[in-house]
Amino acid sequence: MGLTIGLAIVVMLALAGVFALLLGWANARWQVEVPLQLRQLQDAMPGANCGGCGYVGCAEYAEAVFKGQAPPDKCPVGGAAVAQRIAEIMGVELGQTLPYRPVIHCAADYDARLKRAPYRGEPTCVSANLVAGVQGCTYGCLGLADCFEACDFDAIEMVNGLPRIHYEKCTGCGACAKACPRNIISMVPFKAERMLVVACSNHDPGRVVRQVCTVGCIGCGICAKLNDLFNVTDGLAGIDYDRYDPQMDFGPVLEKCPRQALIYVGKPSEKDLAAVAGEKLPGRIEADFKTTVDKTQFRG
Amino acid sequence: MGVVTDILFIALATALINNLVLTYFLGICPFLGVSRRIDTAFGMGCAVTFVITMSGTVTWLISHFALVKGSPLVEAINRLAGAQVPDLLFLQYIIFIFVIAGMVQLVEMYVRRFAPALYRALGVYLPLITTNCAILFVCLTIAREARLTESFLAALVYSFFAGIGFTLAIVLMAGIREQLETADVPAPLRGPAITLITAGLMALAFMGFKGMAG
Repeated sequence: MGLTIGLAIVVMLALAGVFALLLGWANARWQVEVPLQLRQLQDAMPGANCGGCGYVGCAEYAEAVFKGQAPPDKCPVGGAAVAQRIAEIMGVELGQTLPYRPVIHCAADYDARLKRAPYRGEPTCVSANLVAGVQGCTYGCLGLADCFEACDFDAIEMVNGLPRIHYEKCTGCGACAKACPRNIISMVPFKAERMLVVACSNHDPGRVVRQVCTVGCIGCGICAKLNDLFNVTDGLAGIDYDRYDPQMDFGPVLEKCPRQALIYVGKPSEKDLAAVAGEKLPGRIEADFKTTVDKTQFRG
Repeated sequence: MGVVTDILFIALATALINNLVLTYFLGICPFLGVSRRIDTAFGMGCAVTFVITMSGTVTWLISHFALVKGSPLVEAINRLAGAQVPDLLFLQYIIFIFVIAGMVQLVEMYVRRFAPALYRALGVYLPLITTNCAILFVCLTIAREARLTESFLAALVYSFFAGIGFTLAIVLMAGIREQLETADVPAPLRGPAITLITAGLMALAFMGFKGMAG
């Protein structure tokens, strides 16, 4: 019995030795060289794998940067810090990078939207957008929270049918801008904590806008006359963010805008915070089905 | 029979008539797991063929020279210690598994170095070749059947064509599944269901080879 056990041990050890030599040789021979730079790049990535950079995951982006196919400042989650680190690893100069954050080009909450009809279909913006007459404005926010669903970072809240972005949570991945079927969310370079944006997307003439909305831009062009940063194209005001300077005095423009369609978004100011301090803001607004015209049971 | 007819006979019998996957239902995991695309399936088939051939021949050599009754190692032990050990066959299983694991490691290093795309496509299925029952089956069959234990050439041909049979089955399956991607499959049968039905029909088709030889 002792002999058998001893034999088994000896034979297995001998085999193990042979295989260790063979595999050790193979490992040394066929070693896959992962360059130090690439490994450093992979470590520098935030690892959210959100796809905001346009690559499948963080590893793919690291590889693309390593091969020189991608610039170092594409990672929206990591922002300036990661871009700086990548630029250091790759030894390239980093241009000025601005955090791109989404802004919602619509300021009409449920009360401001006119000619709103009951919609009882699938409660998503994508399906509501297919149906005519859900609301008077064919450009504005539908309020069914597709952007809310798209946000992986819990940075969007629905307040009275309008998404509100919590910029302190937002990473700028752009998922909400892609999700919006009406393309009213755009990514804007935030040169300051608070940015001035045009909170309307309606290109219709002023008369039509007035019929469907109480706050929409009528394309009067007053802002463009007062400040050449603004332009009115196709019945809608726009801001040239390339020349945008947070130090500019926008006071007269804000005052003269007849529709108050120009609003500041971004980090709330002390005054704004104080104004809503006592209120309890709703978490999520569900689609309102109370306006159903007939009383029949809805099926399907 | 001459040597050539013998070899042809073993090759045909192993690859087609007693196909590992479709007759013995061995190695079903990679057969279903990586048969989505033909090139990946072919890579998997090649990796398994290599592992089966190497494991089959290496275990044949180990059995022949160290384990069976009257092998040089057993004889030497008996000479040194007096006639006490009839054979070392009780070590068969553990040594076979050991050899298979080693061969898979070898293949993994090779594929990772020379075919990174295939390495990524195979993913977890590459190390899982270790637990592919088809390979242990081949090793054990070689150790059990007299016509294979006696001749090294027969064992080599048997294990190689066992791998070829696996490759054939998985590539055929991948071809069918590529066509199925665009086929109008009834909703309840989509996905794994139609894949298993296809595998069953293929097994039925391979039964047609039964009775041709061995």
